[in-house]
Amino acid sequence: MKNMETLIQMENIGTSVLRNISLDVKKGEIITLIGSSGSGKSSLLMLFNRLNDPDEGTITYRGKSLQNYQITYLRKSMGMVFQTSSLFDGTVRDNLAYGPKIFQEWEEQMGEELLKNVQLPISYLDRNVEELSGGEQQRVALARTLANRPEILLLDEVTSALDLRNIELIEEFLVSLVPTSVRAILMVTHDVNQARRLGDRTFFMEEGEVIEKGETQTLFDNPQTEQLQYFLKE
Amino acid sequence: MAPEISNVSMFFLIFFVLIPVSLSYIYALGLSKSIIWSSFRGIVQLFLIGYVLTYLFSLPPLIGISLMLAVMIAVASFHASKKGEELPYARPIIFLVIVGIALLILAMWLGFDMIDFQPDQVIPMSGMVIGNSMVAIGLALERMKSEFKESKGKIVAALALGAKPQQASTILIRKIVKAAMIPNVDGLKTIGLVQLPGMMTGLILGGVAPIEAIRYQIVISLSIFTSVSIAAMIVTIIFYRFFFNRNMQLINMEIEES
Repeated sequence: MKNMETLIQMENIGTSVLRNISLDVKKGEIITLIGSSGSGKSSLLMLFNRLNDPDEGTITYRGKSLQNYQITYLRKSMGMVFQTSSLFDGTVRDNLAYGPKIFQEWEEQMGEELLKNVQLPISYLDRNVEELSGGEQQRVALARTLANRPEILLLDEVTSALDLRNIELIEEFLVSLVPTSVRAILMVTHDVNQARRLGDRTFFMEEGEVIEKGETQTLFDNPQTEQLQYFLKE
Repeated sequence: MAPEISNVSMFFLIFFVLIPVSLSYIYALGLSKSIIWSSFRGIVQLFLIGYVLTYLFSLPPLIGISLMLAVMIAVASFHASKKGEELPYARPIIFLVIVGIALLILAMWLGFDMIDFQPDQVIPMSGMVIGNSMVAIGLALERMKSEFKESKGKIVAALALGAKPQQASTILIRKIVKAAMIPNVDGLKTIGLVQLPGMMTGLILGGVAPIEAIRYQIVISLSIFTSVSIAAMIVTIIFYRFFFNRNMQLINMEIEES
């Protein structure tokens, strides 16, 4: 871990809900953000692709302030998937092509490849998204974000509404992505076991602050704060 | 020769009001007061406007028309902008949109020699165009707020995929404009079949031959359709921007409020 290239550096970040947050993301890492609901995890995630901006502090990506990137390209590089799939009306193909078409990068064969990656049949391409199950919709949402070939993947509780089978599928797929397809993953989850399975490092948040952080295994085996001890017991 | 309704006949309109008032009383609807008040108010307003129009028609056309159009546009933009009070510059923008539409339609009527520049023709016809534009703008603004609230997740997802606000709002813009236009589209489909449109009815009652009356009705119906489409489109295209900030982020404030 020590010699890995630092991709994202966040220093003394403050917003209306976040306080004094500093963290770094290194190449090849899966970072999990845990904490009870309302602790600021999702708000924090939205700062990376500038869906929101901090009031204080700095965020750099590959040594350059986020402010110096063109926003649309920054968002393309920092692909984000949300808790609810938020698919657009239309077919699976319409959804997969949405991002690439913005950047004039859509090629028809991409659709098949993307569906294969998330283990959905190619015949789904022309299906209306409303016909898909919740798990399938979430996999399409993931494929839609990957269609933009992001460098970083920001995941906000993407498996929280899914059954075990779908959770397993998505987790396996996510692990296979790093570091070849994406450089790092930041993942918000309320599921401690998921953080244990996936996270190289974990940040525990409470009331807008990072209370404890460290390598996931060490953190969970030896929590230092009462808050984390309580959270792990819950 | 236009038929005349005598004062005695007008007095008997009281029965028309008494029926809903009685129903409200019998079924305890609690509407009696408001039925009486709105009927009274409507009658007074119409009598007043009758006298005002008589006076305006006696003025030189340019003065009479300008005065009445100014009042109509001011009232229409005031009412339409109420639906978008939380949006910045709603009142002046809507005022300018209605002015633009009224002038455009008037220029087309005069340019294609459909009507004369006379107060008795321009004022009632412009009133219909302005009134319908007002309703369309109100509908568009209301729908816009509800769409931005309901579809927040999709808009944020589109932004996160690299869409600019205009791209992220495309689907909504289509829905909003459609919603504002639907009453007119539906109205045009059944025009004359279910009920005779107001203008045509007025002309026929005034003694104009039906075949002549429909010409005016066609002009006004299509003019209303055009003005409503333009109003909804322009207002939507102008105001969707106010739901985003310059960093292409969705502003929550307006959405939470509606």
